Amino acid sequence: MTESDPPSGGDYKPPPGDFEPPEGEVAPRPSVADSIGELGDTMMSPAGQFGLQRPFGDLGPETGPEGGEVQINASGWRLALREFFSNRLAIVGLGVLVFFVLLCFVGPLFYHTNQTVTNPLATDAAPNAGHLLGTDDNGFDEFGRIMVGGQTALEIGFFAAFMATVIGTLYGAISGLAGGLVDAVLMRFVDVLLSIPLLFIVLVLATRYSATVLSQSLIIGLFSWQVPSRLVRGEVLTLRVRDFVAAARIMGGTQTRLVVRHLIPNALSVVIVNITFLVADSILLIAALGFLGFGLSYPIASWGDMLGNADNAVTSGYWWLVYPVGGCLVLVVMACNLVGDALRDAFDVRLRRR
Amino acid sequence: MTGYIVRRCIAAVIIAIGVAAVSYALLSFTGGSPAVAALGTRATKYTVAIWNKQHGYDHPLVVQIVDYIWNLAQFKFGYSYRQGQSVGALLNENAGRTAYLSGAALVLALVIAIPLGIAQAVKRNSIGDYVATAATFTLYSMPAFFLGLILIQIFALDLHLVPAFVPDSITTTWQAVIHPLQLALPILTLAGLTVAGFSRYMRSSALDVLAQDYIRLARAKGLSERMVLTRHLLRNACLPIITLIGLSIPGLLAGNIITEALFNYPGLGLLFYDALQSLDYPVLLAYTVIGGLLTVVGNLIADIAVTVADPRIRLD
Repeated sequence: MTESDPPSGGDYKPPPGDFEPPEGEVAPRPSVADSIGELGDTMMSPAGQFGLQRPFGDLGPETGPEGGEVQINASGWRLALREFFSNRLAIVGLGVLVFFVLLCFVGPLFYHTNQTVTNPLATDAAPNAGHLLGTDDNGFDEFGRIMVGGQTALEIGFFAAFMATVIGTLYGAISGLAGGLVDAVLMRFVDVLLSIPLLFIVLVLATRYSATVLSQSLIIGLFSWQVPSRLVRGEVLTLRVRDFVAAARIMGGTQTRLVVRHLIPNALSVVIVNITFLVADSILLIAALGFLGFGLSYPIASWGDMLGNADNAVTSGYWWLVYPVGGCLVLVVMACNLVGDALRDAFDVRLRRR
Repeated sequence: MTGYIVRRCIAAVIIAIGVAAVSYALLSFTGGSPAVAALGTRATKYTVAIWNKQHGYDHPLVVQIVDYIWNLAQFKFGYSYRQGQSVGALLNENAGRTAYLSGAALVLALVIAIPLGIAQAVKRNSIGDYVATAATFTLYSMPAFFLGLILIQIFALDLHLVPAFVPDSITTTWQAVIHPLQLALPILTLAGLTVAGFSRYMRSSALDVLAQDYIRLARAKGLSERMVLTRHLLRNACLPIITLIGLSIPGLLAGNIITEALFNYPGLGLLFYDALQSLDYPVLLAYTVIGGLLTVVGNLIADIAVTVADPRIRLD
């Protein structure tokens, strides 16, 4: 309890910028004494959640060790989420991502196009009523192809990022915990993999394994975990000297338990921020693969493959084969980067408050 | 200081050896032996096996890797059976043009990014800052080839200022240097991508410096704003750029492949791209290793340069 708080019975005023009750709803303002009384059964009473959330958000750092780490943490995450959703650019980024997921996965259900059989009689047609964005050099409807191409881009992007994150998190946690020679060897290996430009590795592997969504995700995911592993290792190195980790160890927690229960959850914020950047990078990478002619095998569509002939399309004046799909690519990548930046800022705020 | 540099160099050598080993393992995993390239697609299994035995490709992977690194140390990069030339000669022939393209792009990127980042930091949260941030953020999210295509559309097809693709007449490095207009688009593409990363760092680095006490002191003692910016801000804010140049090498190398393939500019990137299509493994291996080594050396030089330039940094 800090001295600046009014004595019991006094109205409690939240600092500006913190929680504000939704408009139109008169939230009961609990007195400090009330909220202290409720401290004990925070999680048990779903009612009056707003009333509870506020004192915890403010008192977090002062409640002392017996105040319960879980609540402080939870309020930290909530704080980060709130910070995230108050960022306008983050909302825009998230909105763009949701829009593209809907467009690519739900759109084809309403906008029926044939993306498997070529139509030599209708190639390179300019946009018209039948084909909203015209047709490409195989006679495929460009708008429909953007949808199915977007499916593969998003699938590969997210799957590769997820895989890289899982591998990197485990690798980094093990390296940071092991310390000493093991750590040095493991991290030198990361240095080696970081030194070879990823595009080189991926292109070389794509000469042999490139046919499917799965194989491209695997290729990218298996070679882009270096950055998350470094991030997690750094977090683990700072976390493992913290008191709560020492306490867990003294109480007889096993190494596995330390990693899974204490270190990884606490290092999660850096990992989550990095995922969004990994998705963006992976989407750019498969686009580059497709452009260079090592994309998915016919007839699976991808945005990069669609741009593979774009230099001819540009010189022939077939703008609809270049700018719509390129614009989609830039928008999705930009949205991922926006969300990532906003998440980083949000977690920064959370860490400052903690 | 000397101790740090020596330790850093030893680490770099170890990483360099690792780069060669991992690249070799990767290539042998992908296909590796150039037997088919040497003997033709109609070679029987039997002749391929004999060829592999004659050229050491039947040894265990570790032995092959050690052999390869030993050859590398003597600057032997192998022989391209597809092109009928030693890989060293091929690399040597193309390196100058790629170095020129990358160097020009890097210099252009610095010339744009440093003043831009500082101007953004000084006039932070102004309209200009927002516009510049939006522009660099868009560039940052843009695939290299799409940026190149847009530049082709604007400067070559609409404005007719420069040729859309690098003409075949550009065959030597010297010709590339004396025809800046023919190379304007590839250089601009590569520079645009680099600017995107640099200016963001430059802006935040300049913001950090602006908050320092010595800037306040410089203003307090009555220095003109111009002097504050050029004498105190610029030099300190540029320190992270040294590291950033080192870190930008992998991006430049990857950008080279895409830009050279798009604009048909004969350099190492195009050599690599052609080797990918003809499965010319020795060339692929050599350029992958060189790409890794350039990155290692670049980071090493950047690390040492930073400690020399900024005595406050002690990386022990």
